Amino acid sequence: MAEMWINMGPQHPMTHGLWNLRVKVDGETIVDAQPEVGYLHRGIEKLCEGKTYPQIIPLADRLCYGSSLTWSHLYCMAVEDLMNVEVPERAEYIRVLTIEMQRIVSHLMWLAAYAGDLGLGVGFVYTMREREVFLDLFQSLTGARITYNYPRIGGVAHDLPPNFERDTLRAISFFEGRLKEYEDLFEGSKIFMMRNVGVGLLKKEDALNQGVTGPTLRASGVSYDLRKDRPYSVYEEMDFNVASRKEGDCYARYRVRMDEMYESCQIMKQALKKMPKGKWRVVAPRNAPVGTGLARVEDPRGEGMIYVVGDGSDKPYRVKIRSPIFVTVSAAPKILIGYKVADVVAIMGGLDMCIGETDR
Amino acid sequence: MRDKVVTMAERRKSDGNEFMERASSRIDSVPEEKLIRSLMNAFPEGVTGFTKVRDGLVRAKLDRRDILKACRFLRDELGFEHLSMISAVEYDDRFEIVYHITSYQNKLLLELITRTSKEDPSVDSVSSIWGGANWQERESYDLMGIRFIGHPNLERILLPKDYTYHPLRKDFKGG
Repeated sequence: MAEMWINMGPQHPMTHGLWNLRVKVDGETIVDAQPEVGYLHRGIEKLCEGKTYPQIIPLADRLCYGSSLTWSHLYCMAVEDLMNVEVPERAEYIRVLTIEMQRIVSHLMWLAAYAGDLGLGVGFVYTMREREVFLDLFQSLTGARITYNYPRIGGVAHDLPPNFERDTLRAISFFEGRLKEYEDLFEGSKIFMMRNVGVGLLKKEDALNQGVTGPTLRASGVSYDLRKDRPYSVYEEMDFNVASRKEGDCYARYRVRMDEMYESCQIMKQALKKMPKGKWRVVAPRNAPVGTGLARVEDPRGEGMIYVVGDGSDKPYRVKIRSPIFVTVSAAPKILIGYKVADVVAIMGGLDMCIGETDR
Repeated sequence: MRDKVVTMAERRKSDGNEFMERASSRIDSVPEEKLIRSLMNAFPEGVTGFTKVRDGLVRAKLDRRDILKACRFLRDELGFEHLSMISAVEYDDRFEIVYHITSYQNKLLLELITRTSKEDPSVDSVSSIWGGANWQERESYDLMGIRFIGHPNLERILLPKDYTYHPLRKDFKGG
């Protein structure tokens, strides 16, 4: 049969943002694939060079609409490394608490989109409903629901509001019950399982070679999590397991994210319990020294990394942002080739694309 | 290049579990110093300026001509399986290309800095060693104008194909 190229995107229900996947098909089978990104390129790295260090924090929020707090936190960590700022302990605990909450919010948004992609409309509505609980908590903490502008260089913007601990514990216990319901809902669905198990296999050596990180890597049998293997902030004090699977298919990726949400709940409970009293912010210098700062975190989507070069002024000389999904999506042909066109939605949905950070 | 159709059954057969268990690459005690020593032995002239920045992060400067050999040595002999990031930085007199390379088994991060001239910014491509470098090198070419020699498909990736500037260079005003 004649081979032909099909454009899936830039406007396609599967893409979740603007990007294009060109697939070459032989009948129903995919023989080649080319992801195309760049539709949302805003030049954030260039914009950073014209702004002072604190002005970049809200810009870093805009890197990813799914998990904005991780990115502003990562940016602040990189600048603190450059300026040699010591963050108060309470601020570190608040950061761990909030970025784990952000991880749950991000994974829930992924789960909602994924369920919608695979035809489980009811899953979409349920997960979005539970996401709302955590967004309300974020609203009480920061005043915003998507882009929070909460971390600061040298701590966080302000302390936890009254009753935040009580509300968070309530939300966690409510959510842990719902998480079990999701498992029944998704894994009890024959169609969901048929579209997931054994689809989109990514072998371990391919995952390593292609630079895939995060849940996708852990689903392929490499149990590497920066929170555990190179702890930053106060993750050393936390007791949690790294979710990983050996299968490397879409089901494994789904499972890793589900387990991670459960582990995030455990981390949040411990962070609330161990949180000391005291200052939540120190004043950072206005100008950075000449030198470089580097920080990397375990973003909900993989390894996020920021490299800042300072030149002694109050503006960064160069900011380089490593986006996990930018690298992961370049491995898409490795996963897609050999499967049917109908599997593209499950495979690409399972990677958890976020175009904001991919294109920057 | 990729015209052979791999069946799903073929994929399932090999799961590659022995990949991480290559004992020879595992460095046991004080991994940072051991890494510094073995790199210095392998490239006595190319490598300069070693520093242990903090636990798990080593910085090294490397001559531009040695980059491909050194990267292959790092992956095959020292167990650096993952290329985290390639960044290009423009200075008044030079371009610096910074490689951040991760070893999962030794929990190390190596910051490898190499320099290239302003007139002809080019360096050997490492995308034959780490497939993940492919898009990152394209990005550096697109935004900073670094040519990666031996790259399979060095095209613009974020900006339109007919764009004529490299916007992250300092002579491009904006931001």
